Amino acid sequence: MCGIIGFLDKRGRPDAPVGQTLLAMLQALSCRGPDSAGVAVIGTALPGWALNVKLPERVPCEKAAAAILEALKEIALVTRHEILGAYLRLEMERTVEATELEKHLLAGVPGVEVVSLGHQLSVFKQVGSPAQLEQVYHVAAMTGSHGIGHTRLSTESRVDLSHSQPFWAHGVPDLATVHNGHITNYHKLRRHYEQRGYRFYTENDSEIIGVYLRDRMKTGLSLADALRSSLDDFDGSFSYLAAAGDCLAYVKDRFGFKPLVVAETDDFVAIATEEIALRQALGRDFLAREPAPGSIAVWSVVPAPSRAA
Amino acid sequence: MPFSIDCHGKTTREINRLLRQAIADGHTEFQVLEPDARHNLAVALLRPVRVIFEGSVGYYCGGMMDGGILEIRGSAGWGTAESMMNGTVVIDGNAGSGVAASIRGGTVVVRGDAAARAGVSMKGGTLLIGGNSGYMTGFMMQKGRIIICGDSGEALADSMYEGVVFVGGKIAALGNDAVIDEPTKEDRASLQELFATYRMQAPAAFKKIVSGRKLWNFDKKELEIWKAAL
Repeated sequence: MCGIIGFLDKRGRPDAPVGQTLLAMLQALSCRGPDSAGVAVIGTALPGWALNVKLPERVPCEKAAAAILEALKEIALVTRHEILGAYLRLEMERTVEATELEKHLLAGVPGVEVVSLGHQLSVFKQVGSPAQLEQVYHVAAMTGSHGIGHTRLSTESRVDLSHSQPFWAHGVPDLATVHNGHITNYHKLRRHYEQRGYRFYTENDSEIIGVYLRDRMKTGLSLADALRSSLDDFDGSFSYLAAAGDCLAYVKDRFGFKPLVVAETDDFVAIATEEIALRQALGRDFLAREPAPGSIAVWSVVPAPSRAA
Repeated sequence: MPFSIDCHGKTTREINRLLRQAIADGHTEFQVLEPDARHNLAVALLRPVRVIFEGSVGYYCGGMMDGGILEIRGSAGWGTAESMMNGTVVIDGNAGSGVAASIRGGTVVVRGDAAARAGVSMKGGTLLIGGNSGYMTGFMMQKGRIIICGDSGEALADSMYEGVVFVGGKIAALGNDAVIDEPTKEDRASLQELFATYRMQAPAAFKKIVSGRKLWNFDKKELEIWKAAL
């Protein structure tokens, strides 16, 4: 099972109340994934980096946060920090590369995990229902231009925060994915990428999507082309969504093994595993359609209207 | 006045129980408000009642039904009318994968598009699709007819045993052992009647697809046939 959802506000507002829509959609799909829930929201762009770092377990939060701040002192200035649930939310000056920043942090503080990194991206996920996610992280109050979400029913790997989704595509700022299905050539692909120096942080097959996209984009492909080529390179069943700083996309496997419905109006694009999520969150004044197997689509963020216009 | 059921705040089970109870009480006309794409609505209806859904329905709506009439004023999810014995299901919007799968009789009308695997393993009845249909439509159908006014996806009518498929638009690719045949006068007449019944615009012309019957029997020593079958 698993439920995936995506929503993009087409009215050109970088601070639209997308959180409440994402939460309503996620709650409608609670029964598809009782193990864990999570969202990735693309918000207003910061000049520097925004990081959501999972604090190490079995260490008092304050102490762990202090250790992280201490480790980061050497490489960049932290402009804001805040402990939110299991995370330390950081805002930093952009004087260091994303990959370098993550590497430095992991080397400096044992047990931390960078759950999201970018200028706009914020991932919050945990074990439990969407309602519990809301209680701790106040998803409904989050603003942005678009976002994706996931409710998980684990079939292959363990149930904990790290194995929950969305996954940030480590090394690519602001890119996150959610996946429903199984990538059956995961082990083969993982070996392939590990031999080329890519690091995996979980045993979840869905993590391969971000690694794959990162690798394809490194060879010069656009995100859209990387998404399209994944139709050939992934085996198994998959409907997955990707959210980047400037777009929202879906990919659906060639056999159409996994459900997915899309609705588009003048105001929004909404994608969900089941139409029930669209109806509960967005009402009844639009039609939904099931995209063809083997198809992808990318919606770009509409730029904010200029004041003069 | 139809018997009205407002789904707001109700579970699927509560809605279906209300429906069954009202049928037992003698009601025959129903209006279901705010179905909001809930799954398994109006499954296994065995009485000739008429149910109008004022909105989209989720998976398996009208599954295993025998003799009812369902009108869906929205879209429908996976497996709508699956294994229906008899009756009518009309979907004003689009239908998800596997609409009318395995039906034995009755008529399913999709005014919009049908997704993948529409009418697979049909054992009778009629599936009329106003728009396009997805890949593997009519896979392994055994009886009945499928009419696609728009374009069809790949593997159309793959491995069909019997039955007939009509396509008004383009065929992306025929499936194994599906062959083009010439529509007869009787075919045209029965299609015309069907379009009139559901007040739909018939395409200018149809291609007719039937089973080539090559997969009915095959010589296991014949390698080429194995290749085509697998």
